[in-house]
Amino acid sequence: MARRRPKRSRRPSGSWTEAHVRRLFWRAGFGATAKEAHLWARRGKRAALDHLLDPSPAQLRGPAARVGRRRLDPLNEFNDDKLWWLDRMVRSTRPLEERMTLFWHDHFATRNEPTTLMLAQNRLMRRKGLGRFDALLREMAFDPALARFQNLNENVAEAPNENFARELMELFTLGSGYTETDIREAARALTGIRDRERNGQTVAMYFDPALHDGGRKTIFGQTGNWGIDDVLRLCVTHPAHGPFLVTKLWDYFVGGAPPPAVRDRLAADYVRSGFQLRPLVRAILSRPELYRHLDRGEMVKWPAVLVAGQLRTMGAGIDIPDWPWLMASMGQSLFSPPSVAGWEWGTRWMSSNAMRARFGVANALVRDGGPAEVTNGQVRRELTPDQHLALALRKVGSPRITATTRRELRRLIASYGRRPGLWERNQLQRSLRHLLISGPDNQLC
Amino acid sequence: MPPSRPHQSCEDFHRTAATARHPTVGVSRRQFLGWGLGAGLALYSARAMPLAHWMEGAEAAHAQSPDARILVSVFLPGGVDLLDSFLDVSQYPVYARLRGRYARPLSPDVLVGSTVSAHPSLAHGQGRGIAGLWQRGKIALLPGIDYANPDLSHFHSRRFWETGTITSQQTTGWLGRWLDLHGSRDNPFQGMTSGSRLSPTLLTGAAPVVSVEAPHRAEMKIPHVEDPNRRRMMRVYGNLARERRGDGPSAAAVRAAARFAQDAHHDIAPLAGKAPPPPVPGADIDHVVNVGGQITGYPKGSQFGATLRQLAFLLDQGLGTRIATVDGRADFDTHNNQPERLAEGLSDVSASLAAFQYDLEARGLSSRTLTFVWTEFGRRPQSNSSRGGTDHGAGGIAWVMGDRAAAGVRTEYPSLRNLDPQANLKVTADFRGVYASLIEQWLGTPADAIIPDAAAFPRFTLVR
Repeated sequence: MARRRPKRSRRPSGSWTEAHVRRLFWRAGFGATAKEAHLWARRGKRAALDHLLDPSPAQLRGPAARVGRRRLDPLNEFNDDKLWWLDRMVRSTRPLEERMTLFWHDHFATRNEPTTLMLAQNRLMRRKGLGRFDALLREMAFDPALARFQNLNENVAEAPNENFARELMELFTLGSGYTETDIREAARALTGIRDRERNGQTVAMYFDPALHDGGRKTIFGQTGNWGIDDVLRLCVTHPAHGPFLVTKLWDYFVGGAPPPAVRDRLAADYVRSGFQLRPLVRAILSRPELYRHLDRGEMVKWPAVLVAGQLRTMGAGIDIPDWPWLMASMGQSLFSPPSVAGWEWGTRWMSSNAMRARFGVANALVRDGGPAEVTNGQVRRELTPDQHLALALRKVGSPRITATTRRELRRLIASYGRRPGLWERNQLQRSLRHLLISGPDNQLC
Repeated sequence: MPPSRPHQSCEDFHRTAATARHPTVGVSRRQFLGWGLGAGLALYSARAMPLAHWMEGAEAAHAQSPDARILVSVFLPGGVDLLDSFLDVSQYPVYARLRGRYARPLSPDVLVGSTVSAHPSLAHGQGRGIAGLWQRGKIALLPGIDYANPDLSHFHSRRFWETGTITSQQTTGWLGRWLDLHGSRDNPFQGMTSGSRLSPTLLTGAAPVVSVEAPHRAEMKIPHVEDPNRRRMMRVYGNLARERRGDGPSAAAVRAAARFAQDAHHDIAPLAGKAPPPPVPGADIDHVVNVGGQITGYPKGSQFGATLRQLAFLLDQGLGTRIATVDGRADFDTHNNQPERLAEGLSDVSASLAAFQYDLEARGLSSRTLTFVWTEFGRRPQSNSSRGGTDHGAGGIAWVMGDRAAAGVRTEYPSLRNLDPQANLKVTADFRGVYASLIEQWLGTPADAIIPDAAAFPRFTLVR
């Protein structure tokens, strides 16, 4: 092992610090380890963003998920699908890819479809999630899970089903700026998508021209014999689309709404680029607004981000089956968003129940055999108060803490007096680790 | 060294509400709150106060007017189809043509003294469900309710119904505004959602309100940290949860939730081991409620029924509740398979709401409780081709239920021969007029401070 030497920090961009890296990695991924924070602070903002947005294929690192002795079986075992995805969040070398997959899962919210189809949709979102939006949207229209969930497969010329057409405009592309007539006409243009079945199970969707309404439709004031691709194109080229998607991505990464001038500039660049998501996400992650108030958290961590980030920064893997249960208590069941509009973000994650479930997350981690457990011999007798705290911080993934929290924890250490016995030291250390995970600071990023 | 304790954390995850099926006699409200509700409670718009303070507020409100009227708002999400649920018999031929082979046969349940035929599923449940309640004169039906030029988006339309306005500017709910004007600043139980999320209809500007989830254990125990060390740790947890100047909205929300979780825990600590198990009926408890020998049967396995059962129990605790809300669980957004899906959904609604009404009667609460049932819009008269599915439409259905409901059909049934240019039903009653009528006739206060431009909407006789 290399001996640690005091090093003067080199900062290529002057104001790019470990705090910046932590903020960026929590917002665009699942946290930064102490090592990552150090490394990417040294290499600078541009290199950190290059790293996050690197399009090369992801690998999984670290201990593979297991439940007891058993490996995961996402297709057959209850809740293993959720654990399977959580495991990717914990171990992927491309955490932003998983964050984008989570974004699209919320955006094209689908639930109650067969697990094979849900997992196929998940892979699709991962594969296309940072590519071109119009390409993603085209694939989503033919995605069996979504098409079935939104009854698109039952939308036929003789009697159109408007469900998908409405959500296409309201939730997927525009938010506003269309009429009821636009929805009806779009539903007609979207007719003809059917299930391709094998052994009675849907395996894909296909277009059946015989069920398509080939007549003239007027959508957003434009008339033509519009088909499926035309509707999707009309939606993404509608002037409301750019600002709509920029605003939602901004809310996801930065929180709140972008200043109108910034929004319009980002939207214009995005449309000009041919709906490229990677540069748009990069532009948002570069904005100074993302790095405000680095000394304190500004966004409530999504339950998935809290759990995956905690395990990831601790270098731990999934080894208990409890996470889906705990995440449900916090308000987020993966593959089961509460409505077609996905989850409610921000402070809506919080309630006394949710906070107690987050307390339960800390319990799961400091349990005997858990990744943050305190074992005899870890807490040496001669530790100073600072060393006590440093040990606890190191063992829970070196989270950011505020000055007030540091002061409170120091006070807790002091209350144990000088030289506490082994049992007391262990309890103190366990309390510190628990508070670092369950306390308010750690729910924010 | 203290004795080692059994490994606790994982057990803690799996444990759900302890069960109980015994009367509440001898349980103080404070105990009930701590044990039964504890972590299941979420407070909104409240100042930072310990739970005990809120309990005193609830007791004071109840003592001051023990017989105050209660309005219960029940939301059926998705947009319930008027025609299949309550059909105007005289329009049956047109209906049959529009729905083709998915038209339901005319059921024998033509509601007494009217020309409206109820869906057969609405006769499910105790005492023949909703149809039975109609027969007993406890239902006022409001077909065709909506607003002019309705927005057929679930989210927009819901928001309008929730806020009692048809703009997107209003942030408080119509029932929340009533509490702001006529409620207290000390009793969050005055406005209560039975369920995990506060109903947006109850969002207030200043008055505290609460949502109550099925109870969980509220303890905040930590494996292998024993008292007094656990107490020390929790003291620090409390300090970290204290309000801080300079906190943004996210940090403030996190700290408030942490304070409340800990408060709930504090109320339990002194009772642990002594108190009886939680008296609140939870989802896993028997679906039969026995109040003084009167048996009410909620539908087995129904979440909606369980939530209503919890509400009836809560209303009986003397918490000074004036407004309560429940969200239905069935999905009435029947774009496909409407015949089967609607039958299933209405059956749950009928059996659960009827049980709720009988439960209120058994508890002696029915004369002062009125239930208003609503949905965000209606559905298109012409079905689509998805096995009898229907798309979003105008002119929905609502009803008022209770001993004091002005029984009968209270609005004009929309004509199937005279549809609007989008082939939707023409709206015959504005929901804001219905809100104003409920405020004036049931809550006994003027409506114009709650519903903007209230004078513009015709009123309906809903209360007798």
